[in-house]
Amino acid sequence: MDFSFTKHEEEFRQELRTWLEEHLPKDWVMSNQKYVKDPVFLRNWQKELYEGGWGAIAWPEKYGGRNATLMEEIIYEQEMVRAKAPSPINYVGIHMVGPTLMDIGTEEQKEQYLQKMLTGEEVWCQGYSEPNAGSDLAAIQTSAVKDGDRWIINGQKVWTSYGHVADRCFLLARTNHFEKKHKGITVFLLDMKQAGVETQPIIQMNGEHDFNEVFLKDAIAYDADIVGEVDEGWRVTMALLAHERTGIGAQVFTLEQQFQDLVTLAKEREDHGQPLIKNPFIRKNMIDLYARSRGSLLNYYRNLTKTLKNGYPGPEGSMDKLIVSEITKDLFAQSISMQGHQGILSEDVDGEHSYWSNNYLYSFGQTIGGGTSEIQRNTIGERILGLPKDLRR
Amino acid sequence: MDFALNQEQELFRGYVRKYLESKGLTKIARDYMVDQGESFPAIHTGLAELGCSSINISECYGGMELGALDLVPVLEEIGRALLPGLFLETNTLVVPLLEQFGTEEQKASYLPDIAEGKSTFTFAWLEHDYNYQPSGIKLKAHQEKNSIIIDGVKTLVPEAQIADYFVVVARTGKEEKDISLVIVDRSQSNMTIRPQKTIDEARCLSEVTFNHLEVPPTQILGPINGGWTILQEGLLSFNAALSTIMVGSTDKIVEMAVEYANIREQFGQPIGRFQAVKHKIVDMKVDLETARSLAYYANWALENKTDDRVQAITIARIFATDAFIRAASNNIQIHGGIGFTEEVDCHLYLKRARFYENYLGSTQQYYEQAATALGW
Ligand SMILES: Cc1cc2nc3c(=O)[nH]c(=O)nc-3n(C[C@H](O)[C@H](O)[C@H](O)COP(=O)(O)OP(=O)(O)OC[C@H]3O[C@@H](n4cnc5c(N)ncnc54)[C@H](O)[C@@H]3O)c2cc1C
Repeated sequence: MDFSFTKHEEEFRQELRTWLEEHLPKDWVMSNQKYVKDPVFLRNWQKELYEGGWGAIAWPEKYGGRNATLMEEIIYEQEMVRAKAPSPINYVGIHMVGPTLMDIGTEEQKEQYLQKMLTGEEVWCQGYSEPNAGSDLAAIQTSAVKDGDRWIINGQKVWTSYGHVADRCFLLARTNHFEKKHKGITVFLLDMKQAGVETQPIIQMNGEHDFNEVFLKDAIAYDADIVGEVDEGWRVTMALLAHERTGIGAQVFTLEQQFQDLVTLAKEREDHGQPLIKNPFIRKNMIDLYARSRGSLLNYYRNLTKTLKNGYPGPEGSMDKLIVSEITKDLFAQSISMQGHQGILSEDVDGEHSYWSNNYLYSFGQTIGGGTSEIQRNTIGERILGLPKDLRR
Repeated sequence: MDFALNQEQELFRGYVRKYLESKGLTKIARDYMVDQGESFPAIHTGLAELGCSSINISECYGGMELGALDLVPVLEEIGRALLPGLFLETNTLVVPLLEQFGTEEQKASYLPDIAEGKSTFTFAWLEHDYNYQPSGIKLKAHQEKNSIIIDGVKTLVPEAQIADYFVVVARTGKEEKDISLVIVDRSQSNMTIRPQKTIDEARCLSEVTFNHLEVPPTQILGPINGGWTILQEGLLSFNAALSTIMVGSTDKIVEMAVEYANIREQFGQPIGRFQAVKHKIVDMKVDLETARSLAYYANWALENKTDDRVQAITIARIFATDAFIRAASNNIQIHGGIGFTEEVDCHLYLKRARFYENYLGSTQQYYEQAATALGW
């Protein structure tokens, strides 16, 4: 066992840390919700990252990346969390669409999109879910019909994160009605800035606006916008999901940080003249939470070790996703009850959003987005434990 | 980053598993219930022949001089089999104490036998008020001329009927912490052993009365009146090991649950297809892997004497205990009616989980210890 980082990895960390100290926008504060959602600010940040050589470190050098190793990506996530850097606006582009295009995109597609993803010039979203296709993703009904070298797309997408600021969408549409649902799906790189695409905001339960409904009325895409083969989009989608190798890492480190914040809160807040952390009930709950979040981090390291050895990630990613999102939810739930009535205030004394109540509300999305906890449990049960498969159509 | 047991350790696990499976796995525990350990020494010797009992003993005393992590595979396998006996107590509590605090003479007389699997130690700590604090130690060991005289009663002493030696936690002075650890040879008379019944019949506990028992002062382990402090050190390695044993047991439970859910059919399909069952097993698995990660890290922290070892070990113990109890309980439910019988093994695991829950330290106390270690 070895938890240390190589000299090279430490140098990498130091280089990034120094860069962040110099370039993190001075007026950026984590609690300042004004910037958290400001697309102009976030696009600029993406550009800044790109110019510093930190835009997409895992990408090959020839596309503007650094050929980063998995460990370097992990360090990158750790340092971003540590510095409380703004969350990336082009996550979908950098981590999912970009790598997929490098694998199976055409030369023209690479030429046209990769650079702009990096600079923040073009922001991407993913158009999978529909009103009647969430967990059952292959049930999508949005249709694309061929018309010469054009495709006419009709239907509706939902929960499209960043759809309102996105320039392009990685869109799944049905191009054929085969018996097997996952056949006959095609992936399009859709231009969001066209007449046939209309986005409407959906306001989340924490009052924020990340995701949207997207209405497609005779929207247009061209043959050149298809990724991979017509009707073979399911495979492309699976390939894309495999690229998301560090997403959980970022969450694990964020959870670690959030737990530390909770400890600070419990030490500083008082009840009857005594810090909350001294209250035996709170102490016990905090220890239980600590054990679980610490365990989730170590679990993640153990799975990471496996990935490093095998060269590819296994189904254990589902386990990490399930654990981390569930603990996050419990952590913020604890933060609310622990504070007594004060816990439900949505603004702090200085008029800013309360970190606690806002994150508490936000945490409900985490066990749903990216595949619900139930779906993760199905995956773990079937792929890791070898239990019988759910009945499917 | 490399967070996994190494190849040799995994290989060794394979040998131990094969051996214990060849002996019928939980059949060993079931036999123990009936004969109170009469047939057990053969198993202990078998494990010793594989090298299990010499792993963490210095080479000069016949051991392999390896670390806590090398014990992990053995302990997990012992947990899977619900092995009775005193491996845990001897090799992970007494051996580290002897290695670190024993005199040359003590080491020379005990360690080689332990390494060869010829002798085991038990631990006589609790008294009738079940208080794990120094104030709970009433049993007296006082010096008279050239010997130490022990008088008093200990309760819940594990496997007193088969132990070769007892480490007795005794009061040797007037101050609260004037406590010493005294090694007592079971062949000495002036000691009565009264068996106590517990729900885990595959482990024996006894009340032991010491009646003016005389031992030479050389039998004191560590400094006189300094027993409490060194005991805390010993408990660290004990608890890292105990967590690992519990992980092993939980591992076997999850395996049982999966197996049963795959073969048992109701409504024309395996019950494992029902999510009420499937998801419960997944939650057990998630707990198991989390407990395992915490336990591996605890042993790593112990072996490397890291600054965070107290919290790492305590947290591992707390979480592994909980995970073990939860999994064992759910396993009974998943098995339905048959799970509630003595016939299948489900109940054995639940009972062992409860046996360990407050073993050599109360849950509450470990919570407090963890909080203190975290600086709360
Ligand atoms: C914060 C957030 C961001 C998102 N961003 C995007 C995005 O950018 N692009 C995009 O396309 N989508 C996005 N989504 C959508 C997300 O992928 C879906 O919400 C999710 O897959 C669940 O689908 P659903 O909402 O239709 O719920 P449903 O699938 O209808 O599920 C409802 C309930 O039924 C359960 N359930 C469903 N099927 C099963 C089953 N087989 N076994 C057991 N239980 C089951 C679910 O677990 C859930 O509890 C986002 C969602 C959230 C919350």
